[in-house]
Amino acid sequence: MRRVAVIGVGQSLYGVRSDVTMQELAWEAVKEALEDAGVTQRDVDISVVGNVGTRGYELMPAQPVNDYIGMTPKGPIRVEMACATGLVALTVGYNLIASGSAEVVLAVGVEKMTEVDTPTSLAVGGRAGNYLWEFHFYGTTMPAGYALYATAHMAKFGTTEEHMALVAVKNHYYGSLNPKAHFQHTVTVEEVLKSRPIAWPIKLLDSSPISDGTAAAILASEDAVRKYKIDTPVWIAGIGYANDTPLLTRRKDYTTFQATRLAAEMAYKKAGIEPRDVEVANVHDAFTIAEIIAYEDLGFVKKGEGPKLIAEGQTYAGGKVAVNIDGGLKAKGHPLGATGLGMIYELTKQLREERSGPRQAPLKKYIALAHNVAGVGPVSYVVVLRR
Amino acid sequence: MSTRKYTKIEGPTIDSVPLIYKHKIPIQKTYKFWEGLKEGKIFATRCKKCGRIYFPPQADCSDDFSSDMEWVELPKFGVLEAFTKVYARPQGFDDVDPYVIGIATLENGVRVMGWVDPPDEKCVKVGNRVELTIRVIKDRHIIYLRDLSCT
Ligand SMILES: [Zn+2]
Repeated sequence: MRRVAVIGVGQSLYGVRSDVTMQELAWEAVKEALEDAGVTQRDVDISVVGNVGTRGYELMPAQPVNDYIGMTPKGPIRVEMACATGLVALTVGYNLIASGSAEVVLAVGVEKMTEVDTPTSLAVGGRAGNYLWEFHFYGTTMPAGYALYATAHMAKFGTTEEHMALVAVKNHYYGSLNPKAHFQHTVTVEEVLKSRPIAWPIKLLDSSPISDGTAAAILASEDAVRKYKIDTPVWIAGIGYANDTPLLTRRKDYTTFQATRLAAEMAYKKAGIEPRDVEVANVHDAFTIAEIIAYEDLGFVKKGEGPKLIAEGQTYAGGKVAVNIDGGLKAKGHPLGATGLGMIYELTKQLREERSGPRQAPLKKYIALAHNVAGVGPVSYVVVLRR
Repeated sequence: MSTRKYTKIEGPTIDSVPLIYKHKIPIQKTYKFWEGLKEGKIFATRCKKCGRIYFPPQADCSDDFSSDMEWVELPKFGVLEAFTKVYARPQGFDDVDPYVIGIATLENGVRVMGWVDPPDEKCVKVGNRVELTIRVIKDRHIIYLRDLSCT
């Protein structure tokens, strides 16, 4: 297998973006990523377009996106894996280069979520997993799925609504420092606790927003890194992935996501690192409880100690491990197909030390981790990056 | 309240041509389950070859490539593993009151999802014993988990 580097990244402003179509939005990230790498579409061998698309009017979205971003006649490969689409697009690109099929690949994720109303969005998200045996009978929603894990975690480990609120406070703080975030304001614990219930114990301010957005990465082989004279390549050191049953009633334990534990184990092994080596991470905080469980499943702390880690402030920059210091899904936003690549965008900037002040994680080993989950945990991707 | 600052860049829009999906879902291979609900019974399938119980019911056992299954009725009591009260309802459930979804482990180890009665998140607790019943809500037979500590 050949080594693969991230040589360029781009991300749009996340949020409600009724000023642009999906294609127009995608171009914002692709243009920035191509300029960042110093290459053009002519240098790219193939594109991978990540889009969930279940809320859109373009039912076969990869072709119009690929054409608009100037990639015709090359590509596209369309990728869909619910909320984990972004890191799956990265993985497809990685494999194309590692196997020798391509030298330079463009991976772009894009999502327009706000063209339909919120009840429609909840009904689409609630169909994730298994429509017939869950949504059809019980009107499950994405927040309800995570809320089931929240009540189980609370019952077993004494996790509280205050612990979850602290995750929102941290991620909104970083969102307030990120000019590309959906939410750029801070919140207090009291405001989170008083916000309206969505799926108790999950409240509005525990939830990631319904966002429009796009992110892109240009991937390259070692030869291409030399050819294009990339001075700070960020290497993909290991990718792990795993699956669990989408049927919630067939899961063994509602306090942990098995897919994330297995994916993390695989990624750490391939990268030859331990969880404690990770200095900056973007984890899948679709809801605040998900970030707490991710601390545990990724091995940053032992099972049940996630609440303590956030209570001690150890996941702010300068703590044990800096987590979601771009605002995370919670505050930066969660435009499904873009989310995983938005993590790669942020972590590439972090490893190149292009952030400043409280937004830059202090680095010694230059090791970063991205964690992207589909639905309520049936698919998990973990990517380790090294400078 | 802190000052709210969020991204909302709006522009003029036009309406798309509406597209309505209404699917015909095949139930031939799980027919007994659907008929059982009407009689207040919850059926799972059990693989005759390896004994694995499938719930939701499956017509095929992917463990040993067998499709020789038998129907078994599930026990009526269990223990609540997790629950949530859904306030933000999805399209299709917007005309019902907020409901509590729960997952219970039954006496034979099988887990089922259901709506919890009473729909009171202050009383319902993980670890409480529940009794399974069937009720008809909007022409659909729904499994209810009656929290025995809240009645
Ligand atoms: Zn079998």
